[in-house]
Amino acid sequence: MASHHDCWQCGTPDAGSLFCRYCNSLQAPTPDYYVFLGLPRRLAVDPAILQKQFYAMSRMLHPDRYTRRSEQEKRYSLEASSILNDAYRVLRDPIARAEYVLREAGFEIGEQRSKDVPPELLEEVFELNMALDELRAGDSEVLPQLQESRHNFKLMLARIDSVLEEHFQRHDGQQDVASRRAVLEQIRNVLHRRRYISNLVSEVDKQLSSRNA
Amino acid sequence: MAYSDKVLDHYNHPRNVGSLDKKDPSVGTGLVGAPECGDVMKLQIKVNPETGVIEDARFKTFGCGSAIASSSLATEMLKGRTVDEALQIKNTEIVNELSLPPVKIHCSVLAEDAIKAAITDYKAKTLDAAPASAQSA
Ligand code: FES
Ligand SMILES: [Zn+2]
Repeated sequence: MASHHDCWQCGTPDAGSLFCRYCNSLQAPTPDYYVFLGLPRRLAVDPAILQKQFYAMSRMLHPDRYTRRSEQEKRYSLEASSILNDAYRVLRDPIARAEYVLREAGFEIGEQRSKDVPPELLEEVFELNMALDELRAGDSEVLPQLQESRHNFKLMLARIDSVLEEHFQRHDGQQDVASRRAVLEQIRNVLHRRRYISNLVSEVDKQLSSRNA
Repeated sequence: MAYSDKVLDHYNHPRNVGSLDKKDPSVGTGLVGAPECGDVMKLQIKVNPETGVIEDARFKTFGCGSAIASSSLATEMLKGRTVDEALQIKNTEIVNELSLPPVKIHCSVLAEDAIKAAITDYKAKTLDAAPASAQSA
């Protein structure tokens, strides 16, 4: 990524991504989360390493350290802190992380035809919606059925998450761009399916909790 | 909400809501879903096996107003057509009839997919039924 720039302070070429390696002044932060955090572009991210890096960089970028620095550096430290927070929030969550990598690779998320929903799932989804309808109409006899569907969909999500985990490893193991893209494409499809199911679960949760309220 | 009058009419007075007996060999069931929005649509047709004419059609849609209107309209369009005529129905006809805006086109696509799925199911059943009934006879 474009971390090759001249230092705004001393003019040294190829100054480095966060601090100039010569005059040590804070540079304009890169918006790329991986480059910013100095992490390899992998989908499988070790949460411990990520967290350690986040804390270390939070300390380096803390506004207190810039009170007596130039306006330029104050501004950069604010920008960098906000990128750091976004980067951490996105990369620590496997789903958000995968969506980020997909979007950066130019994939559109959310464009899909109805055929892509597996038929065996549709049946269950339809039954679930029927039950939700009856619940809204005041029929509480469907409650056990809803709880059970909720449970089933939760299990499906867990299974999907472990499939994703495998895809991540496979993606990271690919050497060339084309094979990486092929895996990313599969990941995108899994994510669509996952979103579909998790929307359902939250719909059930919403209905169940509005009853208890 | 920028729903057209026709959408509102179908939405407020949906035609042919309900279900037909899934196990009936003359009934085809299409169940489709749109992952973008989580909407699901079930559309069923009852075919006269002699003439191939669709005599009844029912739907149940969990989704937006446009999806409900699209499937309601679809059941009206289906009745009286032969299965092969029904296969020609395009989502653009639904879009025009209901004046759907571009963002709601996928709702009409869902209805077209549901029609196709119902017909596919019906055809598969008649194919299956032929040798089976010959055997049991
Ligand atoms: S918004 Fe999904 S079918 Fe209309
Ligand atoms: Zn410098």
